Amino acid sequence: MKNTAVWIFWFLTTLVLIFFMQNPIYLIIFLLGLISLGYHLSEKDEKSTWLKKNLQFLATIIFVSAFINGLFTHSGKTVLFSFPDSWMLIGGSVTLESLTYGAINGITICAIFLLFRVLNCALSVKQLTRLIPRALYPIGMIISISLTFFPSIQRRICEIKEAQMIRGNPMKKIRDWLPILIPLLVSSLENGIILSESMTSRGFYTRKTKNTPIFLIIGLIIGTFSIFSGWIFLIYDYPAYYYLPLFILGGIIIFFILRALSIQIETTKYHQEKLSKNDFLFLVFNLTFVFIFSSFMIFGNPTSLSYSPFPAISFPKIEFIPIFLTLLTYLPIPLITYDHH
Amino acid sequence: MITINSLTFQYPQSSQPVFKNLTFEIAQGSLTLVTGESGSGKSTLLRCFNGLVPHFSGGLISGDIDVFGLNPIEEGPEILSKEVGFVFQEPEAQFIYDSVEDEIAFTLENAGMPYAAMHSKVSEIIHQLKIEDIRHRKIRQISGGEKQLVAIASALVGGKKLLILDEPTSQLDPQTADELLSHIKKMKQEQGLTIIISAHRLERLLPYTDNILHLAKGADPIYGPPQQVLSQIDLVPPIIEIAKKLKISPLPIKIEEFPKISPSNSTTHGIKSNNLNDETNRSILIIKNLSVIFDKQTILKGINLNIRKGEILSIIGPNGAGKTTLLRSILGLVHKKGQIILNGDEIETLDFAQIIRQIAYLPQNPNDLLFADTVTEELQITLKNHGLEKSQEELVSFLSRFNLVDKKNAYPRDLSIGERQRVAIAAITIFEPEIILLDEPTRGLDYSTKSALYTFLKAWSDQGIAVILITHDVEFAAQIADRVTILEGGKITFTGHPRVAFTQFKPYQTQTARIFPGRNWITTQDVVNN
Repeated sequence: MKNTAVWIFWFLTTLVLIFFMQNPIYLIIFLLGLISLGYHLSEKDEKSTWLKKNLQFLATIIFVSAFINGLFTHSGKTVLFSFPDSWMLIGGSVTLESLTYGAINGITICAIFLLFRVLNCALSVKQLTRLIPRALYPIGMIISISLTFFPSIQRRICEIKEAQMIRGNPMKKIRDWLPILIPLLVSSLENGIILSESMTSRGFYTRKTKNTPIFLIIGLIIGTFSIFSGWIFLIYDYPAYYYLPLFILGGIIIFFILRALSIQIETTKYHQEKLSKNDFLFLVFNLTFVFIFSSFMIFGNPTSLSYSPFPAISFPKIEFIPIFLTLLTYLPIPLITYDHH
Repeated sequence: MITINSLTFQYPQSSQPVFKNLTFEIAQGSLTLVTGESGSGKSTLLRCFNGLVPHFSGGLISGDIDVFGLNPIEEGPEILSKEVGFVFQEPEAQFIYDSVEDEIAFTLENAGMPYAAMHSKVSEIIHQLKIEDIRHRKIRQISGGEKQLVAIASALVGGKKLLILDEPTSQLDPQTADELLSHIKKMKQEQGLTIIISAHRLERLLPYTDNILHLAKGADPIYGPPQQVLSQIDLVPPIIEIAKKLKISPLPIKIEEFPKISPSNSTTHGIKSNNLNDETNRSILIIKNLSVIFDKQTILKGINLNIRKGEILSIIGPNGAGKTTLLRSILGLVHKKGQIILNGDEIETLDFAQIIRQIAYLPQNPNDLLFADTVTEELQITLKNHGLEKSQEELVSFLSRFNLVDKKNAYPRDLSIGERQRVAIAAITIFEPEIILLDEPTRGLDYSTKSALYTFLKAWSDQGIAVILITHDVEFAAQIADRVTILEGGKITFTGHPRVAFTQFKPYQTQTARIFPGRNWITTQDVVNN
């Protein structure tokens, strides 16, 4: 199961579901699903490290979110303890409800974070950048390189910090970090130059013509202006017949300009993605989930999706269809396991 | 055929040209070695062959270059990328993608090659370089030697006529360097590939070389067959130095070409105990049964070492053997098992400040240390870190040992590689440590800079300072070391006299040892003495 488009579709569906759900039970099921999925997708030797690091991070986020909300929001009936009212900002009661509300927000943040982590495990940087149109190929490359640069910068920070510490730098004050910043900046620039030399000497961004035709540049300006104008009309609540034509016109102009620019770039792709049997199955299941979710939102009674612990904490309402929808995060696991076999 | 005619190049904002009126021809299917001191323009010249100079660098260029019918000055690197493959000094810095196969395919993707042809070309180069087993691996999971091969595959894929390699063996252990060179030789023989290599350490490359171009600052370049060029330059590999001293003509460039001669005094040089007197013979650092496990992988296992005052211990071994980890363990930077006793105290009982007050450390990249505005300030910062102070006169006197007095107000990062390394060494030793740890200090250094390094190391040794030196440069280690430790797969396989290490362990034999087998001679000085 390697198809980028299929994974992106799953990612977007799950993201929408997470945004719609504030019920902690559903969110916890989502979170557990994403943890299991990430565990399945992580590299064989790194599974336990992946699990440990992410669980630590999730626990910290949920705790910090609950703690901050508990400290600053004083609503709710179940008072756990109180700070004197004279204490600025935090003075007042710390309630179970506000802690719960903070924890639910923490779970939502964690679910979104884990969703990105899972996508990162499922797809390589190259697969993600492949989604960028050919006309914007250099931008895709910059994103790809920035992402791969990040771990190498982290490694360089450790190396330089260690070298400076051995030289006697105590690394205690902010000023002590200057000896790291300058060598890091200089070595990053040097490496950047080598990388761009390497790319240039390997024919990167070879175009049929060196200069972009002027009409394409003018077209791009008109297209962008059109979309921007439509957006202004939308913001000021003008009727749809004001902004919709502008959006459509801008979109069409930009589409054709990107197409014209793409033709000038001769790149091809080493990996051609095919839709495997499992990818197809995954897509069908995913579409089914989307259909069920849309129907439930339009024709059903989606009250159980939201939950508020205020004014007094209560057990969240649970319904069958949302529980079923949370299984979307578990769906890829059997297909991945089947792929491995 | 590659033709260079009256080529002159000057970088922007520079007052002098890097090289002037270069004229020479390189025959198809030959291997040319570009050599010369640091800053003589070797890397700049290499970049002229594919148009990176002047198209990428800017600057003033005059003269003509013809690379198999293409003019890099007019066409630029995009067009030249179809004929010329370039491998940079640090392969890791040139990788774009995180997987081997994607990295190799990058050039073909940019050339717009159709999918099927691209797969066949990638498979072809992978097969030629025999790297099938790492084809689907991530770049971070492969060794240093494999990274060089991937960089070469990425440069050559699609069928290039010219391969340019900038210092390809400087970071490799002797065995890996030999393997890489035999791959290059094979490609040259089988495909008629033209190869241009720049290098400081010539000893390994000479047997494969057809022509040498020697560049020197302020002097005319010398170009021609190795014998002709090497007879005109002073700093040469041991085989040439010995041949010159023994007045052998023509100069041999391969061990097999060296005549079988018996020097007048042909007594076998004995292996005596090291000449360290009782005072300096005292152990300053004792390592007992040291093991390091990282991510369930054993990096070091059962290491036992004694380092004495005034001793120069050289640690050699393949890439990934655990040499740097050993140095980091000595500094207490690694979670370990076993004992490390520094000046009678177990390092576990010392705090970090106490350890680094006694030990100085030069990392593989000396640039990691340099950030101050002047050379003098670099020294003052180290002193301040250790709560010490020295007068300006004392600082100048200290800099004079490193021949840096005239650079005392210079910005360290503007200096040459050799000068920067000297500043870094001065900065880490200004507080007069008792032990100095050096990680690959000869990497990228030319013969004259190495000779300056030799002088500092000997001076420290005479002062009773212990030096632990990690290096792949066996010739340098043979000259300087009092004792040698061979570390392989995290274990010490040998510790003892350099004469044993550099004669009896084949991968680490020096050129002298190979020319005179059975005599325990490891340096040119040994030949002269006998």
